[in-house]
Order: sequence, then C-alpha cells, then structure tokens
Amino acid sequence: MDDSLETTRREGTHLLVRAGEYACALPLAAVRRVVRALTVHPLPGAEGELEGLAEFGGEPLPVLNLARLVNAPPGANPAYPVTVVAWAGPAAARETIGLSADAALEVVHVPVDAVVAGDGGLLLGEAPVGGEVIRVLNLEALGREA
Amino acid sequence: MSAAAAGGFLLLRRAGGVWGIANAAVEGLRARGDGYRISAAGGALAADEILGVVEHLTVRPSTAVLRRFWAEAPAGLAVHERLPVVVVDPRRPPAALRLDQGEGADEGRE
Repeated sequence: MDDSLETTRREGTHLLVRAGEYACALPLAAVRRVVRALTVHPLPGAEGELEGLAEFGGEPLPVLNLARLVNAPPGANPAYPVTVVAWAGPAAARETIGLSADAALEVVHVPVDAVVAGDGGLLLGEAPVGGEVIRVLNLEALGREA
Repeated sequence: MSAAAAGGFLLLRRAGGVWGIANAAVEGLRARGDGYRISAAGGALAADEILGVVEHLTVRPSTAVLRRFWAEAPAGLAVHERLPVVVVDPRRPPAALRLDQGEGADEGRE
C-alpha cells in the first residue's frame, strides 16, 4: 500500500459509538481511551450538553453528552455506557474531553468522499455504513468558542 | 470558625460539586442551617458541606470546551483525591455558590 493511500485510510478510520438513536463516528486519531462511564459531577448552570466534570488520570475532565450534542432522539437504556476520552479542538490548542455515549460499537473505515451534508461544525456529515446512516463528527469544532 | 489566611485551599461541596477557594481569600466561616456561610473577598458564599483544607492543589486553567458550555468563569480546575474540583475566584463566584442568589439568601446575613 502506498503512503498516500495509507494516510487516507488512517484519516477515514473512526470509532463508531451509539448515542441515543444515532450512530456517531469519531475520528480514531482523536480517541485516547474508551472507559466504562465515568462518574460525573454536575456544573450548576451549565448547558445541557455539558454533563459536568469527571476525573481521568488524575486530571479534571469536562464530560459532554454526545446524544445531546448531536440532538439524537433518546434510545434504549444503555447496558454498558461508556466515556470516550478524546482530543477536542484544533491541533495547536487541543484539549482532552470526555464524551458520554451509550455504547462503543466498532472501528469502521469511512471514506472521505462518502461523507455528505455536514453543518460545518461538529457534524462533518453523514455517511452510509453497514446499512445505517451514521453521523461523522469533527471533534476539532468542539474546542471553538461559541 | 475562622479559616486560616495562609496558603492552601478550602474545599467545600455545593450543588453536587466540589469547589475550592484559596485560603488567603477566606475571611470567615460559620454554620448556617444545614450548611455553611463563607465570607470571602467581601462577599458571602454558601456551602452544603466543608470537606477540609488542602495545602496544595495543582490548578489547571479552564478550557475552551468549558467556556463554550458553561457561562461561569472559574479560576481553574483541579483534582483532589480523585474528585474534580472547580477552583473559584471569590470575587466572581459561580451563581450556585453565591449566598445572595441561593435559597434562603436572607438567612445568616451579618
């Protein structure tokens, strides 16, 4: 496999997670760890997307609710909810966040040219994977101030 | 009860979270109903529980993600004994800590 093809494959490799009724693809390069749902301490007055703060590796970790971020309809009660510890924000100013999700599903390859109709922000676009339309996310957009 | 105006942080619990205030800013602390009233930086803060005083916290700056989804402006973030701590600037305390914004605001006024 030549280098450019390998790079393209790596860029298109995503962790697929369940968030409510949606399946969301997170760039695998941005994923640091997937752990059983961390205990989250609420931040009074925070917007609904921000569940609160957790501790991870001895550091404070803001935890966002992925289903709320993508406006997913609620799904079935999750049997094994997870926190995806990931990088957010642009490479020069990236920060670690937690994303609470209902389940981690699998690693999939999403060809860049299969992604359509994003919002220019967190939602890079949608793509068909295994008979389901998935939401492909751009975590770099999360670190931008509103 | 007076808090020592030395280094370190006073840790308290309020509204389900753990908060830290630099000891140097704490002017007084006394019981108030089921909780506590803390005098700091000329204002009054409320606590449900006092967790104690720690000499050292490694305080990290707030993050862009926090600022985007939380309108408060904490002095920083830390972890103590695996609990995340929001370090507060008592001159700009979060609404949840302000005694004049919380329930029973008129109680315990000095």
